Parts: sequence; C-alpha cells; structure tokens
Amino acid sequence: MKSQTEYKLKSAPEGAISAVKFGPNNNQFLLVSSWDGFVRLYDVIANNLRHKYSHEAPILDCCFTDAVHSYSGGLDTTLKSFDFNSTKESTIGTHANAIKCVEYCSDVNAIVTGSWDQHVKLWDPRTPMCSGSYNQAERVYTMSVCGEKLVVGTALRRILVWDLRNMSYTLQKRESNLKYQTRAIRCFPNKQGFVLSSIEGRVAVEYMDTNPEVQKKKYAFKCHRIKEDGLEKIYPVNAISFHPLHNTFATGGSDGYVNIWDGFNKKRLCQFHQYHTSVTSLSFSHNGSVLAIACSYFLEEDQLPDPLPEDIIYIRSVTDQETKPKYVAS
Amino acid sequence: MGRKKKKLSKPWCWYCNREFEDEKILIQHQKAKHFKCHICHKKLYTGPGLSIHCMQVHKETIDKVPNSLPNRSNVDIEIYGMEGIPAADLREHERQKQGSRPSNDSGSDDDEPTTKRPKPEGLLGNAPGVMQGVPNMVPGMMPPPGMPPGMGMGPMMQMGHMQHHFMHHHHPPGMQMMPAHMQQMMQQQAGPPKPLFPSAIPTSSSGGPIVGTDFKPISSAATISAPPTTNLSAGSNSEGNKVSTIATSSATSKIIHPSEDTSLEEIRARHSKYSRNIPSKTDDGPSSSSNAASELAMAVSAAQQAAAQQQKQHVDAMNHHHAMMQRFPVRVSGPPMTMTMGGPIMTPMRHQMLPGPPTLIGGPLMRPPPLQMPPGMIGMPPGMVYGGPMFPTGPVLMQPRYR
Repeated sequence: MKSQTEYKLKSAPEGAISAVKFGPNNNQFLLVSSWDGFVRLYDVIANNLRHKYSHEAPILDCCFTDAVHSYSGGLDTTLKSFDFNSTKESTIGTHANAIKCVEYCSDVNAIVTGSWDQHVKLWDPRTPMCSGSYNQAERVYTMSVCGEKLVVGTALRRILVWDLRNMSYTLQKRESNLKYQTRAIRCFPNKQGFVLSSIEGRVAVEYMDTNPEVQKKKYAFKCHRIKEDGLEKIYPVNAISFHPLHNTFATGGSDGYVNIWDGFNKKRLCQFHQYHTSVTSLSFSHNGSVLAIACSYFLEEDQLPDPLPEDIIYIRSVTDQETKPKYVAS
Repeated sequence: MGRKKKKLSKPWCWYCNREFEDEKILIQHQKAKHFKCHICHKKLYTGPGLSIHCMQVHKETIDKVPNSLPNRSNVDIEIYGMEGIPAADLREHERQKQGSRPSNDSGSDDDEPTTKRPKPEGLLGNAPGVMQGVPNMVPGMMPPPGMPPGMGMGPMMQMGHMQHHFMHHHHPPGMQMMPAHMQQMMQQQAGPPKPLFPSAIPTSSSGGPIVGTDFKPISSAATISAPPTTNLSAGSNSEGNKVSTIATSSATSKIIHPSEDTSLEEIRARHSKYSRNIPSKTDDGPSSSSNAASELAMAVSAAQQAAAQQQKQHVDAMNHHHAMMQRFPVRVSGPPMTMTMGGPIMTPMRHQMLPGPPTLIGGPLMRPPPLQMPPGMIGMPPGMVYGGPMFPTGPVLMQPRYR
C-alpha cells in the first residue's frame, strides 16, 4: 500500500519465491511457487490468498493451463496439478531429478516440464500421464514456449529449439551468445525470437529464423550492473517477462532493479526504483496492465546479509508509456 | 615554469597534427575522429582495432584511418594518444614546433634545470625508437657515464634533451631530408617487432600481451605507477580456478554470483534446510528418486565442502569421492535414476584431475576470463573499462545505444 501504482501482496510466501505467473485471461489471479514448499493462488485485486497446496520439497516453477488449473514441480521431482474449483490436487508423474521448469503450450495442449535430470517431458492434461521424454544432454535451467516451438536453455550455455508437434528431432541446437551461464529465456509473443539472460548482467536478443540476414539482427547488451567506488558489481538477470501486446519485455536482476526494454528498437523504456533485494520472477498480466514482481534474496553472495531480506511480491500497475515502444519499428 | 613545461610537451595527434591541451582530450579526439567505425559508430581504441572491428563485424576492409593526413593514414600503426608514434615523427614534430617558436627554447634555459625539461621522448620513456637506440642516438655520442644506454626514464629525458640540442644544429642529413612517413616506414622495417605500447617501467618488459582480444590496446603503465603485477595476478587467479567455476571478479568488476558454475537454484537446493525438507519415506515412485536425489545432493555438497576446505589434500578429498561413489550405485537401483547431476563425472580419472567441486566439467568457462583493465590505462574513463566488443571472435553483436 505504498503508493497507488504499487503494493505488496499480503500473506506472502515464507520462503524464496521461485515463480510468479498471472492467469491466462484476467488480471486477478496470480500463481506463486515458493521454496517453502507451497503453491499459492492470490487474488491480487482483493489482495488476499485464495488457495494454497503443498509439495514435499521446495517448488521451482508453476503454471496455469486455464483459469482454474495449475501445474507445479520442484525439488521433490514430482509434477502435481491442482484444480482450484474442486481444490483437488493430483500427482501427474515424476522426473529423475528436480523439475526446474513447468510451462504450458496451448497450441498443442501440453504441459512441458524441464528437469535437472537433463530431460524435457510432455504431459497431456486430459490423460494425466507422460506423453514423451526427450533428452537435452544437460540440466535444464530455463524454458519458454513460443507458439508450437519450445526453447530450452541448459547448463553449459546450450540452447535447444524444439517443435512441440514433432519432438522426434531437435530443430536447432545453439550455443548461447553470452559468455556466462544462462539464467532465463523467454520468447517474443510475436514468435520471431527470444530473449536470453545470463548471470553476468547481460541480455541477448535472438531470432528464430536461421537465415543469415535475420541472424544479423541479433545483439546483446549489458544491464543490471551497479558501479560502486570504481568497482562494477555485475548481477545475474534472473527474470524476463514479455508484455503480451507490445513485444517489449521486463528484466529483473539480483541488483533489485526492474527494467523495461524495447528489444526491436534497442531502447530502454523505463527503470523502476530499486527493490529491497533480488528480483527472482516477473509476470505481466494477460493485457499487460499489471506487473507482478517477486523479490527474494537468492544467496548470490558469499556473505549473507543479516537479517535476510523478506520475501515480497509487489503488484505494480504499468502504463503504455512505460511499456510501449516509443518509435514504430520501420 | 609549469606553463612553459606544458607548452613544450603539448600532446598532438599523429593522424592530423592537431595539438591538444592534454592527453585525455587527445585520446577523446582520436576515438571520435580517427577510430570511429563509419558503419556502427562504435568508437574503437586504435587504428588496428578499428580495422579489425570492421573486418570482423562488418566484413569490410579499412585501408585508411578516417580523417587523417595523406601520409598518416596507416591503419597498421598502433597509436593511442601520444603512445606508439614513430620516433622519427616525434622528432620531426618537435623540430617543427621549435622552428615555429624559437623563443621557447632559449628563454627557458636559465630558470629550468635541463634534466627536467620534458620532451616527447622523455614522456614516452623507453619508446620503441629510443629503446633501440640506433635511430635516436647521435652518431659518435656516447651515453653519459653511469647511464646504461636506453634504460630508464631519467637518463632518457636527459639524453632526449641533449640530442635535441645537438640535432637542432646538426641534423644528420639523411634523416632530415626524408619525408616523415618514409622515416617511419624505415623504422618499421628495421629491427625486431617493437612493443606497441612503451612502458616507463623497465622491468615490465617481460613479454606482456600486445593487444587484448577485444582490440583495446593493453597499455602498460606509462604514467601511472601501478605495479604491473596486479593485472597478472588477477588473471592467474581466475585461471587458477577449476573448470567448474566462474571468474567472478576482476580488477574492476565483480559478478555477484557464487564462483561455481551451477545455477543458483542448484546451489540453494544443497542447503541443508532444503535437503532435510525432502521426505525420506512416502509412497513408491516419487520418493525413491527424490530420496536419491537428496542423498546425492547432500553427498555432493559434503564432498564440495571437503574439497573446498582441503583443496590441497587430495587424499582426503578422494576419500569423500569414494564415499560418494559407494553411495551412488546403491541409489541407482531405480530405473529413473540414471545419470543425474554429476553422474558422468564420478569416474576416478576425472576426480583425480579435479579436486574441486564435482560438478560441470569442461564448461565453456575454460575460456580466458574477461579482459581486465590493464593497470595503467591512461585517461580511460572508468565507464569504458569493460566496454569492448562482447564476442571478439563470435557472431555479429552490436552494442546498442541505450543511453
């Protein structure tokens, strides 16, 4: 309740927040997974907690499939689903190691999970069972669905692009253009490409099309760095969220800042004030008018701050001025 | 006194003969006028840097330094501010200046001790030409007693002055008549490859890198007295780290991330708080694997702690690894638990090589750490330090101008 544009969610998780996701068709419901072992559903308009259900271990990711169903997975290696209407939870299946990413692809109606067991699995929401398991050769760190395409970022800076309609072969295998560990990947809503961030304060804009003319347009830039007394502190860029309409995106870093970028015109549109600790997850609502900002300290530094920063979710209203490209791309 | 000193040693731009108030401005001028890429307007640091940038990034050849005088357009000479200017051109410039302002020299003679008079040669210390001694040494003139030829800053300054005095009156005709660029070409051909950026510290001459991978010149300390070893030690530190780590800190920057090249989530998951959270006994499928995972995570973290604490004591670390290896096969009983985190690296061969954390082998981070700022980079605004091309050899990447 600090200001009109931004407020804290009440009854926030009691552990680090791993993911925040807005519902598919309204600004009201926010799904939050946390290291405290709970998935929570918030009504951000009424600012209250609607539901929560638990896993037996910290949860690393969650997603909506529709307004009333969620899927989640984490260190307990189990994929669970929850029906918010019937408040019934069910176990869908497991990976051999922690599930790092849970995404939903509406184009092929599948839940996609990525795990540290180096596999991506597809699940059919109608028949709760695994419909395929695909080796990624490395631990899956991040994943994003782009139409029927799936972009997977793994350890050792590998990037794999799959076609979810035909998973028999890998569409593209790339190495990250960034020198350091991949932290997050999100696809442009217009499906032209994706944005990739690394732990070393850098973000790359990449294009799907392998045509050299298109590939020429890719670039990378530095961000989320703070200069203090001649020493530049470089922070991991933990979170990327695309504005669903404008193809602009927000990045959140361990420096506590959120920036909004116009990737096609190479412009920064705005920067919010510094949050009290690392931004771990971001989510624009379906119409892009609200941004959820999850802040949790994530043990980036050897020296832990004392006291440990609180885990807080901010709900911020954003305007077109902050999120819309200033110039129309030619 | 001070004013005259400055007047005499005004830095000037080799490419266009313009004079500047100080070297910082000269460097700015060079970056803006001569080292700017005409395609993407990126400012490079040297002529060769610009040429390599254009070649690699835009696939275009540059044969002339932009906005340069016709005989000064060589893109292969590495000039940064006043450093790297061919000695012959330096002398030529000095001569012309003295010719146009004759009063300067004679007027200041009495109130300034001659040794303190800075000359371009003196400023440069053991500049390439000077270092070699031959072109600059006046024939038949012996170095003053007690001064090793071509060594050290002080003697050179003195010699520079003396030579000047001498040459002012009796220039060797051959050198005098040649156009400047011819002299410079002669110098290029003659002698072994010279250090591109002369150092004022005689001891730092031991084969330092010539040009950084991102085409910034690595200038050793010409004016700043930072010990040349700082750069080296920082570099060797990060190189000394094992494969699975990230060089998180350099002289001017620090990556706020654990030095291990593992995701923050994996590192956090090793935390005892979370490994305990994982239940040991529940129903069949999930629990067995999760249990195994947690055991594995704990084993890994235990081994890591051990390795970190006693990195030198291989024996002990080996024991931990052996313990892990014994534990590992037992847990592999279930089919899903094939090769999970760190599976393939459990081979004894590998862990002998790597006493460090047993994760991630052969990672991309074996590449050299990001180029650090050389200790004595003069006049470089701090913001530029890390600003080289991001992937010197990699694909096309433009630096967007967000600001």
